Amino acid sequence: MDRKVEINNKKYPERLKKIDDPPETLYYKGNWKEDLFENCLAVVGSRRMTKYGKKICTKLVSQVAGRGITIVSGFMYGMDATAHRAAVSVGGKTIAVMPCGIERIHPSYQKKLYKNILKKEGLIISEYEGNLKAKKWTYSKRNRIVAGLSQATLVVQAAENSGSLITARLTEKFDRKLLTVPGPLTSSVSMGTAKLIKEGRAQVVTEPKDILKIFDKKQSSLDFKKGKKIPEGNNPLENKIMTQLKTEPLTPDELSRRLNVPAQKLGSTLSNLQIKGFLNREGDKYLLADG
Amino acid sequence: MFKKVNSAAYSGLKSIGIDVEINTSKKGLPEFNIVGLPSKAVDESEERVKTAIMNSNSEFPQRKITINLAPADVPKEGSFYDLPIAVGVLASTMNFNLPEKSLFFGELSLDGTLRHTKGALPLALFAKNNGYKHVFLPEESANEAAVIDGLNIYPVENLDRMVAHLLGKREIEPAEYEEEKEKKIKPEFDMKEVLGQEQAKRAAEIAAAGGHNLFMMGTPGSGKTMLARAIPGILPPLTESESLEVTEIYSISGNTPPGSGLIRNRPFRAPHHSISKVGLIGGGSRPKPGEVTLAHRGVLFLDEFNEFPRSALEAMRQPLEDGQLTISRSRERVKYPSEFMLIASGNPCPCGYLNHPEKECKCTPRQVTNYRKKISGPILDRIDLHIQVPAVDVEKLKKQRRKNEGESSAEIRKRVIKARDTQEERFKKEKIRTNAEMKNRHVKAYCNLPEKTEEMLSQAASKFNISARGYFKLIKVSQTIADLNDAEKISPDHVGEALQYRIKMDKN
Repeated sequence: MDRKVEINNKKYPERLKKIDDPPETLYYKGNWKEDLFENCLAVVGSRRMTKYGKKICTKLVSQVAGRGITIVSGFMYGMDATAHRAAVSVGGKTIAVMPCGIERIHPSYQKKLYKNILKKEGLIISEYEGNLKAKKWTYSKRNRIVAGLSQATLVVQAAENSGSLITARLTEKFDRKLLTVPGPLTSSVSMGTAKLIKEGRAQVVTEPKDILKIFDKKQSSLDFKKGKKIPEGNNPLENKIMTQLKTEPLTPDELSRRLNVPAQKLGSTLSNLQIKGFLNREGDKYLLADG
Repeated sequence: MFKKVNSAAYSGLKSIGIDVEINTSKKGLPEFNIVGLPSKAVDESEERVKTAIMNSNSEFPQRKITINLAPADVPKEGSFYDLPIAVGVLASTMNFNLPEKSLFFGELSLDGTLRHTKGALPLALFAKNNGYKHVFLPEESANEAAVIDGLNIYPVENLDRMVAHLLGKREIEPAEYEEEKEKKIKPEFDMKEVLGQEQAKRAAEIAAAGGHNLFMMGTPGSGKTMLARAIPGILPPLTESESLEVTEIYSISGNTPPGSGLIRNRPFRAPHHSISKVGLIGGGSRPKPGEVTLAHRGVLFLDEFNEFPRSALEAMRQPLEDGQLTISRSRERVKYPSEFMLIASGNPCPCGYLNHPEKECKCTPRQVTNYRKKISGPILDRIDLHIQVPAVDVEKLKKQRRKNEGESSAEIRKRVIKARDTQEERFKKEKIRTNAEMKNRHVKAYCNLPEKTEEMLSQAASKFNISARGYFKLIKVSQTIADLNDAEKISPDHVGEALQYRIKMDKN
């Protein structure tokens, strides 16, 4: 069964109609609900994101998606996938716009994410039917749908002359809001975003509130807890560790130096906290479980 | 005139007795024939023996000389049949008797002197086990053989001395074993020099103490290689019996320098990743020991683990698991020991910067997956300690270091030696020596797990999804940590620390 929405269908998203060359037909997987398109934020960024980019993206997206805003992105690995994942992880809605035919999962190794998006009542859409392979030109065509569906586009990390900047340009063309986050200037994937800031094209966001404002969400829903609550540890060392991790994730070595505790003692405490579910480990760093 | 001289041949680390039979006959044209499956090196001994005898004060007989190496169906290899052949020829022409229960062994130089020959120690062991009394071998190899008590080891300088001794004109003094002047272990780096990396250093200490395998993953320049090269400095010295095992392997593979005695320092082998499977595991039509055997009782360091040929890495499964391996070829089947400590290091992805705080990773997820796939699960599963070695901010560390210098290798080594002693005592009734070698039944028999620890273990197992093998691995590492802390029982804290070193495969 071909599931598609034509441009003359009243289910077709209004906002997308307004762009210069809206796709005639949208093929989709999942449950088409019109309210899904009500508040959309496009999140784009580099495939070669750094740990920093991943962290920022996850933090912002999870908070925004948790408040009912649909996250639109392109299902590519790197930043796109991170944004989808962050949305799914808080039970938020997300739309993946595929650069290939609707029957194809590209990249195929993200099958799990694909399924998760659908499970959380998200949507997979594409303007191409069947099993068409992604081509170079379909990526940039896809970007116009990502930008076109959304009120605003958030560029998290982008190199100069990257696809993310194409989406940024389209966003401006469609007269939507362009958002970005600052990044370290030592990194090449900060260059594109830095350029957007320098030229005054994008608005800088530093916290989820900045994004939610655009969507006109009521202030009450913006009531963020100031600072994370630290769970009560069993001994002073556990508390000290969690206080340190409250501000930033740290490697065991950094913790050992800051707290002046030998690595062996620290190791067993970290494991204990992990078993209790207070801490998580990501790569070589530890972070608070709810962070 | 017929003479028989005793010598020996090797198959792997095993020696078998070889009778060198020499017949010199006045009938027939003068010629020199060696039969009994000689290899090229044995065949060529004709020229060495002839010339050496002519250059000594003896005469080479103008007779038909036939040499048989018996048993005739065992292939003979190596240059050490020179001496027995020469002695046999001379005994047969000069008509003197050879002392009973004697073995002859050694390569001849054209001027009649004897050269350092590989395999002296295993030969002496063979001689002792088979009731021989006297062993004649090159002077430079004598010290190695003199390690074995209860034998007369005669260091032979040249053929003239040999003949003088056998004719009873001038006796050769049997060699006494002389310990080499203590060669100080000089690792390339001291643990003190490794900046930061407290957790990695601790993991290295645990690995050294319990003989555990260690895998370090980290971005380029974080100090993995440096750390690995510092490890020889914290390893305990070889025990007497280990020393013998190691020297035997090195002697047979021709890695002992002239005049050397027992090897006292643990081997540290660091082959390059272009190594072939045979180079790593051993092999050849006459199977030779590979790096895994040369690293027996020591460390095998594989830098850039992911770059090694996959076939070579996979072949390491058996030696890693059993501490020995059998190499089978059509001609022979040999068993080599391979009880080594594997230290491997690798990057998280092809470009090396995955999860780097600042630099972006240039690899696609597919590349990362393919890169990691090179090391299979079963291999990783056989490694007890897994650590991430994060990038370090050198400037920051240098400042901190002034305040608080890290421990030196010597200090860490003291703790390691103590922990090894504890293990030696624990396993004195078993064949194993270290915690890492424990099989499940040993874990059950020797690891003292109080109720609280059991509780912690089962909690951890369910929380972190630990497999049955992983569970026992965890206990083994905990036992080593307990030994390092001089504790009789394994406490929950020990398990907690051990948990830090389990496999963590983060994708992206």
